[in-house]
Amino acid sequence: MRAMPWRLIKQQVAVQFRTFTLDFWSLGLFVIQPAVFTAVGMLLSHAAGNAMPDLVYTVIGGGIMGMWSGIVFTSSFDIIGDRRNGVLEMIVGSPTSLTTIEAIRSLTNVLTGLFSLGLAFIAALAIFGYSLRNVNFWGVGVSLLLLLFAMWCIGVFLANFLAWSRVSSTFVDYLEMPVAFLCGFMYPIRVLPVWLQVLSGVLPIRWALQAMNESLLGNRDWSFLVTHWAVAIAISLVFIAITRWLQVKVQDSIRVNGELSSI
Amino acid sequence: MNPIAIEATSLNKTFKTKIGLWKTKTKSTVAVENISFNVERGELFGLLGPNGAGKTTTVKMLTTLLLPSSGTAKILGMDVVKQTAEVRKHIGFAFSGSRGLYNRLTAIQNLKYFAELYALEPQVTRKRIPKLLEMVGLSSRGDDRVETYSSGMTQRLHLARALLHDPEILFLDEPTVGIDPVGSRELRQTIKTLMSLGKTILLTTHYMAEAEELCQRIAIINKGLIVALDSPDALKRRISGDSVIEACIQTGQAHILMERLHILDGRTVVDLKNGAEPEKLCIRTPEPSRVLELLSPYLNPQYIQGLEVRNQTLEDVYVTIIQAEKQ
Repeated sequence: MRAMPWRLIKQQVAVQFRTFTLDFWSLGLFVIQPAVFTAVGMLLSHAAGNAMPDLVYTVIGGGIMGMWSGIVFTSSFDIIGDRRNGVLEMIVGSPTSLTTIEAIRSLTNVLTGLFSLGLAFIAALAIFGYSLRNVNFWGVGVSLLLLLFAMWCIGVFLANFLAWSRVSSTFVDYLEMPVAFLCGFMYPIRVLPVWLQVLSGVLPIRWALQAMNESLLGNRDWSFLVTHWAVAIAISLVFIAITRWLQVKVQDSIRVNGELSSI
Repeated sequence: MNPIAIEATSLNKTFKTKIGLWKTKTKSTVAVENISFNVERGELFGLLGPNGAGKTTTVKMLTTLLLPSSGTAKILGMDVVKQTAEVRKHIGFAFSGSRGLYNRLTAIQNLKYFAELYALEPQVTRKRIPKLLEMVGLSSRGDDRVETYSSGMTQRLHLARALLHDPEILFLDEPTVGIDPVGSRELRQTIKTLMSLGKTILLTTHYMAEAEELCQRIAIINKGLIVALDSPDALKRRISGDSVIEACIQTGQAHILMERLHILDGRTVVDLKNGAEPEKLCIRTPEPSRVLELLSPYLNPQYIQGLEVRNQTLEDVYVTIIQAEKQ
């Protein structure tokens, strides 16, 4: 594999955008769905007696939801789409490894998801008058990078998990909401029962997101933040290790069973 | 330099499928059984066989897309299982059908993407894409989305994609399936051009005329086994001496003629192609004059409406071999 295949990254991102991202389905995924979540969150907040919606968990949480949905659906169905088009064989038969392609695709999907988050921030600032005065910018910056890294790890993991067998693809459909609930996209994680908090601990997104939300709310307790970042990195690395193992299994399996071109 | 471009030795492929409600049983399907052959550099080698014979499975093993169950395959001396990445740099492949390209991209966008998968330098890509589009006759449609292409155009674009990295060896799996006669002829012409450029080509097809026109050697494969391997002329000589007599018969009269020919020995094979109107009697025989003598009383429109005597074609050889295998 080449050291840093910038041209391949550019081409793969271009293909991803032309074939997938720039269509109405993606508009629904990255814009409409997060907006619906935000609206529902605001209504619930209002019904609970709050004069102003909880901006971090409601508005920005909607943006995170858009990012997550994008990762789940795009990363998961990239391989299925290629299999259906017959392109998967062409990619696997080239000297570039499928692992590299998956990594670039997941990166594209994660960065596309930033669009949802960006819109949510703009809405929070421009429409709801969210103030940046108290925000811990360094905390937000580092946490956001780690959140992107954690989502990228999950994206690559899902892509391989889905390619593993047809049965695994069924599970992916059920992942979107439970993970969103477990990671506290739209409410503080502390409101969950302890056993669910423990369960959500296996997801790196939860740790990076918690650090980001706390930083947005002005938390400057660096030991709290660094601990969360460290856990997010450690679990992300565990996901990478599992993904590496899964990649070998998947690539052997599809070449043994002849499932590269089967739909 | 190794004169052998492709070397398959005792290649086997068995697909195992889990069946039953709980997927506890395993069903094995033998797709390729103990196949061995060599293809020399610069040779155009044909794999012929009916649908499901194992041609595509063989090609997919040789192109590293499938792992053999046993046996070895080498491309330019490199093992397809152990030196997969290296093998992929030296081969190009194109399969039949419209799948295998991004339909929402233009031809040029598709080619640019695949050029990057083969790590071509940008200046090489810039020069090669127009050349290849010209070679396959798509220069004027390069900026059109692939979804607007006809089957023939898609197939030619597949060929251009396979040639992007200027591979020494090309695998073409039924490249003319679903293409009209003019398109097929153009594609065959392109294949001849590639031959003149010194490429080694392995072609699978079930079009006999195509194989006869293009291939220097042919392996006939049936039910996963190679049942014959030789040059087209040598294959024809296998049943040489035999002539083919095709007679158009008035419907319902064929049994009379077949009875008449029954007195000939087992070297003469009589095959009735019913379903056609009029019925057609195909007689393969080493003694055509004797057959004609027996048929002469019936040479009138009441029985025989037309008669043709010709030499064997590759199709006759193929049909003979495949039918013998069936029996």
